[in-house]
Amino acid sequence: MDGPRTARMVRTVLRCYPARWRRRHGDEAAELASLLLRDGTPAGSIAWSYLAGAAREWLTPRPGRRLSAVACALLVAACSLGVSGGLLASARPARAASTSQAHPRAHCRPGSPEPVPGVLPVTGRPQMIIRVGGHGRSC
Amino acid sequence: MAVGRLDNRTGQDVLRRAGEASVLILISLADGPKHGYALIQDIKELAGVELGPGTLYGALDRLERLGLIESLPADDRRHPYRITAPGAAALRVHLDSAERISAAGRLRLQVGGI
Repeated sequence: MDGPRTARMVRTVLRCYPARWRRRHGDEAAELASLLLRDGTPAGSIAWSYLAGAAREWLTPRPGRRLSAVACALLVAACSLGVSGGLLASARPARAASTSQAHPRAHCRPGSPEPVPGVLPVTGRPQMIIRVGGHGRSC
Repeated sequence: MAVGRLDNRTGQDVLRRAGEASVLILISLADGPKHGYALIQDIKELAGVELGPGTLYGALDRLERLGLIESLPADDRRHPYRITAPGAAALRVHLDSAERISAAGRLRLQVGGI
């Protein structure tokens, strides 16, 4: 990786730190990164170390930092985990639907009552009607 | 004295849970003040451990908050750090404790004949 691009990457990663930290260590951290790069340390490992340090810095409660800022950081982390989990979960039924045609519906009992059009059951959940051999059966 | 600083008069090993990086930094600072780059180089030579810069600054901040090290006036853009008297005491207690554990471990290996 060339010098200016690496320097830009390090500066970008250092922007992830809280302002208080940047005021204190920002210049020194950038200089330290350039010295380490000169020694042959891979740019990726320097960037990763600073990124992990920035995450720790945000998530460590400090006497001077309001609890709400820490809660916000945790909330953002939880939301991003939730979004990725949701995306994975929404992808799963689509995959399942494409392969579930051959599976019988084991929980469909023959004695289930006939559905009345337009009326929802007591649970409030819409009934699913499976048409097998020309007749409707509810599950 | 700042809030959260340690009182090491009790002789407790306050560095037991501080992490390897903190202990290595204190050991490196024991023979005189150093700035970040010098600390990384010294720790690499001393213990064969390559501290990442993010880990280094995290540990320096923690040690400074605990009053175990202090930052000296900046020389160019670099801040040298110096071990404080409570820092030296905490390091001594930690090294004594590590020595005792190490001796006990060696003795048990001898007894066990392994």
